[in-house]
Amino acid sequence: MSFEPRILGILCNWCSYAGADLAGTSRIHYPPNIRVIRVMCSARVDPTFVVKALVNGADGVLICGCHPGDCHYSEGNYKTMRRIPLLKKVLTDFGVEDERVRLEWISASEGQRFADIVKDMTERIRALGPSRISDELHVDQREK
Amino acid sequence: MAAKKLQIALYWGAGCGGCDVAVLDTNEFILDVASLADIRLWPIAVDGKYEDVEAMADSELDLTIFNGAVRNSENEHLAKLLRRKSKLLIAFGSCAHMGGIPGLANFTNREEILTRVYLQNPSIEPGNKKIPHPETQVDGQLLHLPHFFKRVYKLADIVPVDYFLPGCPPAPEQVKLSILAIAAGKLPPKGSTIGAAERNVCDDCQRSKSEKKIKRFYRPQEIIQDPEKCLLEQGLVCMGPVTRSGCGVRCPESGLGCRGCYGPAPDVLDQGTKFISALGSIIDSKDPKEIEAIISGLSDLSAILYRFGLPASFLQRSLKS
Amino acid sequence: MESRECKIGVYICNCGSNIAKVVDCEAVREYISTLPQVVIVRTYKYMCSNPGQELIIQDIKEQGLERVVVAACSPRMHERTFRAALQTAGLNPYMFEMANIREQCSWVHDDQQAATEKAKALTQAAVRRVAYHEALEQVMVDMCPNTLVIGAGIAGLTAALELADAGQKVYLLDKQDHLGGNLARVDLTAPYLDSARDLLTERITRVRSNDNIELLLNSRLQELKGYVGNFTATLMRVDNDDPEENKAQEIEVGNVIVCTGYKEFPAERVTHFGYGKLPDVITSFDFEKMLRAGRIEGRDGKIPKYVAIIHCVGSRSTEYHGYCSRVCCMTALKYVHEIKSAIPSCYVSDLYIDMHAFGKGHEDFYRRTSEVKTMFLMYGKGDHPIIHSAGPKDDCQMLIEVNEQLSGEVIEIPADLVILMVGMEAREDATETARLVNISQDKDGWFIESHPKLDPVATTTDGIYIAGTCVAPKDIPDTVAQARAAAGRILAKIAKGKITVDAIYAEINEESCSGCRICNELCPYSAIEFDDIKKRSHVISAMCKACGACVATCPSGAIKGRHFTDQQIIAQIEGVLR
Repeated sequence: MSFEPRILGILCNWCSYAGADLAGTSRIHYPPNIRVIRVMCSARVDPTFVVKALVNGADGVLICGCHPGDCHYSEGNYKTMRRIPLLKKVLTDFGVEDERVRLEWISASEGQRFADIVKDMTERIRALGPSRISDELHVDQREK
Repeated sequence: MAAKKLQIALYWGAGCGGCDVAVLDTNEFILDVASLADIRLWPIAVDGKYEDVEAMADSELDLTIFNGAVRNSENEHLAKLLRRKSKLLIAFGSCAHMGGIPGLANFTNREEILTRVYLQNPSIEPGNKKIPHPETQVDGQLLHLPHFFKRVYKLADIVPVDYFLPGCPPAPEQVKLSILAIAAGKLPPKGSTIGAAERNVCDDCQRSKSEKKIKRFYRPQEIIQDPEKCLLEQGLVCMGPVTRSGCGVRCPESGLGCRGCYGPAPDVLDQGTKFISALGSIIDSKDPKEIEAIISGLSDLSAILYRFGLPASFLQRSLKS
Repeated sequence: MESRECKIGVYICNCGSNIAKVVDCEAVREYISTLPQVVIVRTYKYMCSNPGQELIIQDIKEQGLERVVVAACSPRMHERTFRAALQTAGLNPYMFEMANIREQCSWVHDDQQAATEKAKALTQAAVRRVAYHEALEQVMVDMCPNTLVIGAGIAGLTAALELADAGQKVYLLDKQDHLGGNLARVDLTAPYLDSARDLLTERITRVRSNDNIELLLNSRLQELKGYVGNFTATLMRVDNDDPEENKAQEIEVGNVIVCTGYKEFPAERVTHFGYGKLPDVITSFDFEKMLRAGRIEGRDGKIPKYVAIIHCVGSRSTEYHGYCSRVCCMTALKYVHEIKSAIPSCYVSDLYIDMHAFGKGHEDFYRRTSEVKTMFLMYGKGDHPIIHSAGPKDDCQMLIEVNEQLSGEVIEIPADLVILMVGMEAREDATETARLVNISQDKDGWFIESHPKLDPVATTTDGIYIAGTCVAPKDIPDTVAQARAAAGRILAKIAKGKITVDAIYAEINEESCSGCRICNELCPYSAIEFDDIKKRSHVISAMCKACGACVATCPSGAIKGRHFTDQQIIAQIEGVLR
């Protein structure tokens, strides 16, 4: 049985979540590997959430916000724009492949783009294989 | 009838001895402790043996103060043994609390460590390059060495812990207060952190705080710092905002950014990722290229974030290990 | 993370066959019923219907439900509906969570098994999250009854009058030195050939004589602060560069209506029509000028014998704008009438792609126009007519080659005057306007409404309304309807008197705040202040828009984002990754 990636999407309410809804109303299909949770702004995304998802079995995490300059809350996405690269830099030291955490700007009218990004990310993660982050996290099955 | 003396043990796992020195640094107080309690095990100071502990009844000890991380099977064995034999178990110091400095080994792996130490180290005599084995036959006898685990664990990964007393090392004043509290039976609910404040270092730090906008990060030797002003505001990395206070703010007051040894505040789940969130918020730029340049000024970021708490972080270890 | 003890009811909507066709709702129901804390799980055809909502209300009353989850469409559709249902049943409306198993599941996946598994995960995530929800109380604040209307074209004038006639104060703002906007440049209107000037004069006279309307011409919005019911707008003059004299004016308003209109598509961009090069190729607005002056003539002053009108310039094109500008077809027909009535012998050709005669009286107008001897020629999208200069032997200035679709032949028509029906496009300052009032633009630059079908004049920012062509190309009836609708919405709010401030905002726990001040500069609404004496930071909840930036940042974990707490989000993440 081939590997089916599990991807967590964290989408901001005003732009990217609306864009994902638009993909729905337009019936634009994309792979079912992504599961989305909603926040009001991408600025709410604490890097702790991303790592928590990885540790809980996500093979990839997609964070989406409004295009820079278009944030519904004016500057929220700029904070995201700084936090996620910092996180990715650290994740590299942890041996986590760069493509597992992805930041994209998606507007409310970009339903097709959302679908395309999900398709692309699903395939890239499929090629990377399952994440080993949640393997042997708990002390039980290790040394012996 | 004379009150029964407290039965206590102090033990070190994978540690440096600094925590034991911190206990000794309580100075005359240690003599009071010696009069209040029977110290049944304390490898650095008294003569008790493992067999003595094994011979005890379960919960015979009132208190075990365990410092150091769990790196090998001996540490694990003593952790489990002392847990069984003690009513109260305290994870003492950063290593027992969060993995500590030894925890940084989780950025690499066992093979790399053993190779480096026993084969590549420049001070090894030629012909003496050997990686030790857990079992070796010598003169017809089987010698055992502790099994070196693939990675470092904090104490609570191995056994349930009653209290955490953080610090690298814990401040002697805090050690004293904590031992007095235990002796008086005045303790918070189990699982609590003691010997530390509820707020972060900034609360006790005397430096002035105002607008935080960072255009560039500096290493301590790169600038002449303003002794009155918040270090972070000057571009010097200080983990104070994300680290519990109680240590007396010794590092920032000496001009060194806090390194996070007391661990995070109660509501923070991962000290490193939380600091990423805070740092990201105060970087003063909206341009991706400029942001990249500012971030590249943070040398060894992962080690800064997880210097004391890598095994306690969500990820716990690099996938390399 | 251990779940809190509470009774949760879960409702899985079939949405007719929208969800049920792809997601096995019964399988989801079965799975969800095994989760701790879930006391009842139901599936139903249409949860948003009255009977659907009644199910929830009844269960709350009879089963003592403390939390409710509805797995159905997007929360952006019906979160409000179901929250209201909870309130009806006496349960706090925030004890509710939705799982989006339609827009983001059944409508986008074809693998039924995978979609069902995903629906289970999304619903479980909602169940895990809702256990951590807290009862939040909304606060009522006073609402300022004044309104700021930005733009004094037909939309702005109409909206202002609607409000002022109802006795409310209006500030009517326009960058220009006169009222009327784009309509002031127009001669007659289609399809009844009324005078635009008459339409406008009626409005303008009433606006000028209405004491409730304060006219602010030559002015623009510099800054808008505050929140619905309590905005402070800073206005500046545009005709005065002197910083000494040009002082900002501050006004207090409760709501804003944006009626900034459109600008015409620049015809020079369509190089193959030669606008700006060929002297007698003009735009519709150029022609309106002629019509208002009362004289139709070529550059050389001669009266044209042949006039050609070309539709869809800059519209319905892959190269320029993809959309239809809606008004041009009827305007072109209007020109036919105006030309024939001014110059009965003039030969008029109308070159169109499709005739969009969608509105009231439009088809009649089209029929009447075809009776006044007009040559209608259909050209194909992407296959535009080609304009040549005519030769010395020709009795016209230009020749236009058309690949005529209905006859299938290439036809050459004469023209002394070519009128390009240029489309509408978003103004250059639309982005600045959007930023100032905090609304969004779509990919074409038009302002985005709260819901294209169900809420066309509101925006996602409470208190900011949009009307007229700044939202999308439209004609006068639709513009006026939107303007009056926006005004009506505001009058309804004024009648209510108070505004409910959202219960969702950030709160700083003083016990945990260490005074690091990292959050202080983060808030774009300046909602965080620092108490120098207590050495703690504090959020002004009425100003907080709940973006969560400070919540994620706080290194002490002292800032709690109500309804989006760490606990709730992490429980949701754990649930969705089952």
